[in-house]
Amino acid sequence: MTEVSIEKLTKDYGQGPAVNAISLKIAEGEFISLLGPSGCGKTTTLKMIAGFEDATAGAIRFDGRDVVHVPVEKRDIGMVFQNYALFPHMTVEQNLAFGLEMRKIPKPQIREKIAKVLDMVQLAGYAERYPRQLSGGQQQRVALARALVIEPKILLLDEPLANLDAKLREEMRVFIRDLQRRVGITTVYVTHDQAEAMTMSDRVVVMFGGRIAQMGTPSDIYERPANLEVAEFVGQVNIVRGKVGGGMVSTAFGDVPVTGGHADGTELMLALRPEAVELLPVNSGAAGVPAKVLSSYYSGSLVDYRLELAGGATVNVQTFPRTRFADGEQVLVHAPAERFWPLGSAA
Amino acid sequence: MNAAPAKKGLGPLLLIAPAAVLIGVFLVLPYLNIVVMSFRMPGQGTPYAPGFTFGNYGKFFADSFYIMQVVNTLWIGFLTTFLCLVLGYPVAWQLARGNSAFRALGYALVLSPLLVGIVIRSYGWTILLGNNGIINRTLSSWGVIDGPLPLMYNALGIIIALVHVFLPFMILPIMSAIQGIDPSLELAARSLGASKLTAFRRITLPLSLPGMQAGCILVFVLSLSAYVTPSLIGGLRVKTMAVTVVDALIDTFQWPFGSAMALMLSVTGAVVVIIFGRLTVMKWKA
Repeated sequence: MTEVSIEKLTKDYGQGPAVNAISLKIAEGEFISLLGPSGCGKTTTLKMIAGFEDATAGAIRFDGRDVVHVPVEKRDIGMVFQNYALFPHMTVEQNLAFGLEMRKIPKPQIREKIAKVLDMVQLAGYAERYPRQLSGGQQQRVALARALVIEPKILLLDEPLANLDAKLREEMRVFIRDLQRRVGITTVYVTHDQAEAMTMSDRVVVMFGGRIAQMGTPSDIYERPANLEVAEFVGQVNIVRGKVGGGMVSTAFGDVPVTGGHADGTELMLALRPEAVELLPVNSGAAGVPAKVLSSYYSGSLVDYRLELAGGATVNVQTFPRTRFADGEQVLVHAPAERFWPLGSAA
Repeated sequence: MNAAPAKKGLGPLLLIAPAAVLIGVFLVLPYLNIVVMSFRMPGQGTPYAPGFTFGNYGKFFADSFYIMQVVNTLWIGFLTTFLCLVLGYPVAWQLARGNSAFRALGYALVLSPLLVGIVIRSYGWTILLGNNGIINRTLSSWGVIDGPLPLMYNALGIIIALVHVFLPFMILPIMSAIQGIDPSLELAARSLGASKLTAFRRITLPLSLPGMQAGCILVFVLSLSAYVTPSLIGGLRVKTMAVTVVDALIDTFQWPFGSAMALMLSVTGAVVVIIFGRLTVMKWKA
């Protein structure tokens, strides 16, 4: 169990910083995701934690000890690569034994540990196979087992599910998360898939352009995004604009109270998640803004509507398909005031 | 549901036909002719006489001179192959993994021996290695040596020249094998606690074995059958099998015996290559 602390970590390849003075504390046993679009610096950060890349500046501490100048092989990390990086010339057993051999662990103990970890990843009986004889999901689990069998201080995962098909990806999400909880290992997970980051992590670190845009629990990130970029990157969002006046923002949905001392007259952007909006029949008599259904997309458990408000603005709404509205139908739209989240003044 | 029968027209056959005809007419037929020739009666004043015999093979096995020559040829082949492997591997690694500025230059340097004809290259080596050659003259003018070093007219000279000539055939397959190895494998090994050297020894080296295997077979076979270099550098004193075969066929006009010797050389080479292939079987490859 290791606590990782990163201070002002910077990586500059010579064309401006790829990672720009980021600081981050990861608690013992915590599952952290680095989430962001490609080129945001998340993988570079992971590589610096692993020791594959030298830091240009800053510190990385494992339990208080600075490891910036410690070579990869002495950092005691477990790494899972996007393409698994299983040794093709070794059987599953030999792959798993590699790290243990490097640690000079006696043969009988190696055999014991391998049997245990194979059980853990549900691959008992596959010890003699070569990687090419395994499916993608099985290779993934061997890679995970190989990283865990050495009982490293921290587990690093670099987009490990990117090469799996959608169904397997969801299974593996749960599998990795359960395994991580059981082992209790401090974990850093790099992904560009917000659903992965949200479902697996204790905390999500959203990165843009080499900086941390926001750090928080999945619900923090989703419900209280720090800015427009984060709001748009994590899930779908409606951006509602309105002018401030007397502690309220007047929007197409009506007046929404805001805190934070915005001067009267400034134009604010508010985030409104599609599932926060309710759709009601016109004849229901409930409070709401009239709107017209432009189009709808049915996906089984949910329906996505695209609506046009009376004022001309469009809004996306996600609901359960209990009541269906037809394209062109008039409806009432209602969004509770507390579901609007201010993103700052519009540029 | 009826599965559509696989379309197997004449297309593929037509595509390989030109190469097949070329190989058939100019390689397989002459080879068969050599096999037949090796069983013909030796002639007096003619290349061969009517009738068939096993006598040519008997003559070959009866005389330890010929057996020793096969052994010598194999020995030269082994050493040349080994030296090419040892010298070529680091170059191949640099070409595959080194920085790109070096790569273009290195590639040109590796291929450059192939741009010059083999006769010219071998003559070049005689200028360097001869008793009155550049190396011996320089060393004696410096007072390092009293008499000339025996660099030519022996196996050493042949091996030096063959290594130079065949080095590209070792480097290129190894280079392409190393290029095919995912660099993240070495990173994975490092993350598991292996030093750079251990990661190379346990991961990159065994994974480049297919390239080493191909390179070794190429260089070995080429060394066995090399004629120009051994005949120019070995002179009359050291003869490899290929040189003796040509002597028999052209100088002494013994076509049947020459054919028998040529076949024995081919068979020994093939046996060595097959044994080598068996020893280097890679179970992990599909």
